[in-house]
Amino acid sequence: MLAVAADLIREATKRKWFLGLAIAITAVLVTLGLSLRMDVVDGALAATRLFGKLSHGPIQAVDVALRPVFQAVAAVVFYGGSVFGIIACADFAPALLSPGRIEHLLALPVRRWQLLVGTFLGVLVLSLAAAVYGAGGMIVLLGVKTGLWTWRPMVAALLATACFSSIYAAMLAVALFARSASVSGGIGFLVFTSGIAAGNRHTILPMFEPGVGRTLFAGYTAIFPRISSLGSAALDIAANQPLEVRSLPSLLLGVLIFGAGVLSLGIWRFEQKDF
Amino acid sequence: MGAPLAIEARGLHKTYGGLFGPRQRALEGLDLAVARGEAFGLIGPNGAGKTTFIKILLGIARPGSGQVRLLGGDPESVEVRRKVGYLPERLHLPQAWTPPAFLASVARLKGVETSPRALMDLLARVGLQDDAHRKIGGYSKGMRQRLGLAAALIGTPELLVLDEPTDGIDPLGRMEVRRLLLEELGRGATLFLNSHLLAETERVCGRVGILSAGRVLREGRLEDLCQSGSHYRVRFAPGFDAQALAAAGFLPGREAGAFRCEAETPERLNEALDRARRAGALVVEVAREEKDLEEVLQEAVRGAAPAGPREEAA
Repeated sequence: MLAVAADLIREATKRKWFLGLAIAITAVLVTLGLSLRMDVVDGALAATRLFGKLSHGPIQAVDVALRPVFQAVAAVVFYGGSVFGIIACADFAPALLSPGRIEHLLALPVRRWQLLVGTFLGVLVLSLAAAVYGAGGMIVLLGVKTGLWTWRPMVAALLATACFSSIYAAMLAVALFARSASVSGGIGFLVFTSGIAAGNRHTILPMFEPGVGRTLFAGYTAIFPRISSLGSAALDIAANQPLEVRSLPSLLLGVLIFGAGVLSLGIWRFEQKDF
Repeated sequence: MGAPLAIEARGLHKTYGGLFGPRQRALEGLDLAVARGEAFGLIGPNGAGKTTFIKILLGIARPGSGQVRLLGGDPESVEVRRKVGYLPERLHLPQAWTPPAFLASVARLKGVETSPRALMDLLARVGLQDDAHRKIGGYSKGMRQRLGLAAALIGTPELLVLDEPTDGIDPLGRMEVRRLLLEELGRGATLFLNSHLLAETERVCGRVGILSAGRVLREGRLEDLCQSGSHYRVRFAPGFDAQALAAAGFLPGREAGAFRCEAETPERLNEALDRARRAGALVVEVAREEKDLEEVLQEAVRGAAPAGPREEAA
């Protein structure tokens, strides 16, 4: 199983999408590292210069001043990372199942569920590595420039990975029913947007007239993990603010149940399928 | 008790399709047994069910009914699969990888410990040592086929299942592949070959099965299948009288100096030879005439009773 995951990661490193992502994150970090200057006096951010241009703002404690920055980083990692992941990983499962490859893999001493779970783990490791590299890079950059060291954006990155894992589980499962990168990516976006709607269910529900429509919307969004609530929690944690959501563990449990459920469906289908 | 079996299939049925589309019967009660250590060739027209049978054999597809045993065990058992090397008909290879990286990956998945040196030796065995550091994406079809063969050989498998192993390989390369397969046979491996190249099958396999419409029509040792039964090929020393030989029952053959004679029994053959000798002809060679595999296949497929429509309504 780990060998399958390792092969997927090895394959990903040869893909332009992932090389591009690594280069983009590095370029942003290097550019900010070279062009951003932050003057800290007695624990307060006195001045910020980006490309030599002075940014005017009130003098505040560094941790307070950096809250919006960490929130923005968490938002980019959480939402941007999910969208990027859906696009870049849509082809993995269809490629695994392509004629000539799957026959070869199934004839090897590897169980079918191990192939599927190995692929899932490989994508999980990739998304974790990208999130940790991006968030970790910003922590180090801002830590060096301001002296404020915090682990909070890293927690936000982990929540982003948890969110993407549930999306990818659905993408992987659907590839067993229709071997197509477009369908896999489409399902990824469907889960992503439905998960955002699910997180805002209580705000959206009153917009429906009481009746069938409202019940259908409530039933539909109940299936999906509450992605926007998890995103909101990630942003709050990154900015060291009190959580708006009532229970982070229940949100994570929802993500886990959804991911495990659709992955089990995929494994069941894989076990039944002839190639 | 017979020799232990490498492959044992009994009453295999397989139907594809269903629900909304037509149902396609791929196998219809296939029975086959291959002993360990032998080279068996499966031949048949397109759509005969050869690839379906191989997939069922390896647990890639499941039969609708019937039983299949591989090396005495369940085809889906990890332990059994560890002892099998498989080359699929259209092997998909990772374009951006180098051959040693691909082989190392297969070795890891097979649970075989290997070294870069061993992988290079394996690549040398299939004639790819000079291209070992090129990316697979730049390989020709024949080179990919050789690499697939190298992957199948990892872990010195007890059974090699090869689906069109020489497809795309040039004639000299085919000779190399044949030598390699004979080496594998020599060390005791069982070889199960599916090839459209009948000459290839003839040269490597000791036993052949002819599959058509999902059934094994004929199966046996190559020499038994290729024997014509009542036809003999006779060569005479130069100076024979062709007209007298024709009167004695010898018709000119394909080669110069060779004649064909039809005789139901050895007595009839000897009577014909006596007539030829009385006419002054000197016999230098008598052999039972053998058909080539192409003719055997043609006869078997044409002679098979119609199996009925293979497509059913859903």
